Amino acid sequence: MSVSRMKRLTVFAHKERLDELVRRLIKLRCVEISQHEEHSIEELSLARINCDARRLELESDISDIGRAINLLDPFVKRSKGLFPQKTEVDTEAFVKKGHAERSRRTVKEALSAEDRLNAIKAERAKCEADIAAAEPYVEYDMPLGFSGTDSSDCFLGVLPPATDLDVCGKALYKEGAIAQILRSDKNGIYAVFFCHKSDSAGVSALLSSYGFLRASFAGSEMTATECIGDARKRLKSLSAESETLKARLVELAKRVDALEVLYDMEATELVSVEQKLKLAATDSVAVIKGWIPARREAAVEGFLEGFECAYEISEPEGEEIPPILLENNGFATNFEWVLGMYSYPLYGRFDPTFIMSIFYFIIFGIMFADAGYGIILVLACFGAVKFLHPAEGMQRFLKMFGYCGFSCIIFGVLFGAYFGDLPLAIMRNMMGIPEEQLPNLALMGATGANVALLFDPLQNPMGFLLLSLGVGAVHLIAGMAVQFYVLCKDGHVLDAILDIGAYWLLFGGISLLLFMPSVGLWVTLAAVAVIVLTHGRSEKNIVMKLLKGLLGLYDLINYAADLLSYSRILALGLAAGIIGQVVNILGTMGGATVFGFIALVVAFAVGHLLNLAINVLGTFVHTSRLQYIEFFGKFYEDGGIPFEPAVPSEKFSQEINQ
Amino acid sequence: MSFSEFLSIIFTGNTLALIGAALAVILSGMGSARGVGLVGEAASGLLAEDPSKFGKTLILQALPGTQGIYGLITAFLIIFKMGILSGAPATLTVAQGMYYLLAGLPIAIVGYYSAIKQGRVAAAGISLLAKRPKEVGKAITSAALVETYAIFAVLVSLLMVLFA
Repeated sequence: MSVSRMKRLTVFAHKERLDELVRRLIKLRCVEISQHEEHSIEELSLARINCDARRLELESDISDIGRAINLLDPFVKRSKGLFPQKTEVDTEAFVKKGHAERSRRTVKEALSAEDRLNAIKAERAKCEADIAAAEPYVEYDMPLGFSGTDSSDCFLGVLPPATDLDVCGKALYKEGAIAQILRSDKNGIYAVFFCHKSDSAGVSALLSSYGFLRASFAGSEMTATECIGDARKRLKSLSAESETLKARLVELAKRVDALEVLYDMEATELVSVEQKLKLAATDSVAVIKGWIPARREAAVEGFLEGFECAYEISEPEGEEIPPILLENNGFATNFEWVLGMYSYPLYGRFDPTFIMSIFYFIIFGIMFADAGYGIILVLACFGAVKFLHPAEGMQRFLKMFGYCGFSCIIFGVLFGAYFGDLPLAIMRNMMGIPEEQLPNLALMGATGANVALLFDPLQNPMGFLLLSLGVGAVHLIAGMAVQFYVLCKDGHVLDAILDIGAYWLLFGGISLLLFMPSVGLWVTLAAVAVIVLTHGRSEKNIVMKLLKGLLGLYDLINYAADLLSYSRILALGLAAGIIGQVVNILGTMGGATVFGFIALVVAFAVGHLLNLAINVLGTFVHTSRLQYIEFFGKFYEDGGIPFEPAVPSEKFSQEINQ
Repeated sequence: MSFSEFLSIIFTGNTLALIGAALAVILSGMGSARGVGLVGEAASGLLAEDPSKFGKTLILQALPGTQGIYGLITAFLIIFKMGILSGAPATLTVAQGMYYLLAGLPIAIVGYYSAIKQGRVAAAGISLLAKRPKEVGKAITSAALVETYAIFAVLVSLLMVLFA
């Protein structure tokens, strides 16, 4: 219902106990520590607390632990069940029992094992390359690195596969070389050539001209066979090593739960270091400045009383802008994030969450009126909250859609929509009930079979349009009422009456024109007169006064445009119903046969779920838009910065010692 | 055979209605294919850096795909109304056929255009997702706003066909 009152917290603490203090403040979960201003640090010749190195160290630790968890996770089958729950942990005991140290060692060992496994992969590739290189020379029984004797030279290598051996052999013979062909395949002709050292240059040049590639086994004293044998041996030992390492990883994976606790522990430590970086300190004393919600004052005070420090809790003063925390009842709280997507209210100003949540509930329901889809929304959202234990933000997100699901059910029943027109479609196409025997329940505007309690939007689209605009009118007037209230509260009662009251009079007059034209006309004229005469009251010049007064009437067009904008309720409402109806035609086409039932199930699983997804998204976007532009536009003073207290990391685990 | 006779043979009521159904599928499908493709290209760039964002990129990529579905639904309904599915196709007059052809046009044209535009918004949303993963909701919201006009178009198309 309101923007929570915030208090300024200032704590002076001895530097030696700062770590503990910050850690405990984080545990309180209600303190937002502010960045100490640069100019005040300079004026008071304070200094920042130097813990950048620690932050970097923690960041690298956390990333290592995260890597180790990702590495080990696939090796362990955790009995998390369908609905995983966070491990509950007592961090102090965890450290005391040495789990933290052991987990750190586990991380190191796991990561070094990973490094070694990667290295093994590279070495194996090298061994395989060695084998492939030596393989063509198995016929050659000299060491592969042999390059000749004192008086002779030896060329080992490969000629292109298309070389004409006759021609090439004769040319080489002329140059004084003897050749031995080792193997000839599609990759080339592997051969070795010997010649006297004095002929070496000529032979080499000739071989190059034939495209000869010299094999590179420089210095190797092994024959090809030995080379291959050696590589195979190395491969075997690498495989064995890799198996051992993998077995070790499986062993280590049993401790992955502890690693997760360590992760949260270190991440929480990082939060506290980040808080310390915001502070200022003298040589021995640190100053913490922060914000706390006024209603948590007692808790914070209680804690600080017991801690060795000097503190002050005061009202915000001067130009300080407190962060915004909203306080709402259990229903409206779930809509705060919708407000947050737009912008938070300014401190001390009106929080529209509650009023918005009521209209959100109603408009969402009309726009997506379908009892079937509503039940799915309710079950899916509240089911997820109950069984999946999502984080608080996610819980609110889900609960909001869950509540809107109830609204869909209510309006779905009123408009007779159950998965589009599924009941009628089944009666028509599967049970074969003739058209005139189908139910006709609607109170008004029925032109055919329906199961609506109020009216069927497709049979009475004008009624639906009027309903949409009617809700819009109430919504707009509520927005103006909030503005009226805010103006009065600020002491601008006259402005409220002349700017808003006069328009209400005008709306009233225009509506009366429909029923009692004579009275309506006079009321309308009176309202117009008030608006024209008073709207320019802030201007000094009489001409400007009148001009601005006339311009004031222009607002009527804005209100009309706003009102027409609510016709989107009709458009989106019909779209959901029609697409559902087409899905039902598809689904019930097969009649009451086995094939028919299968088609119905498929249509349900695919068609209706798709329709649900598309329309929840569309309805969410357009209901929000009606709040943001049509409703908030009337009164909202926004631009607040949300309150973000420092809290422990709870990615995997939850501390039980709060 | 004169040209006008030729035309009257080619364009019967039934073929006109089928042209309407075909256009609804062809144009909206083309638009969706381009839109989904655009987002897919942008998404792959992000996934190369961070494969764990696949779920979120998938939502953004699926958004421009709905126009194709709307086109399919409309086409299906036209074919259904023509009685082709029940095996006894009605013989439509040229005016009736023209009616179905026109009924297919809103989703055909708006579907084509909005799918491409939505694809571009969603592709830009991918870069938002890359830089600020927490703001993906806003990227989806922006893309969903474009969807509105496709929904309106399919609504009008379906209304025209259903109550023909």
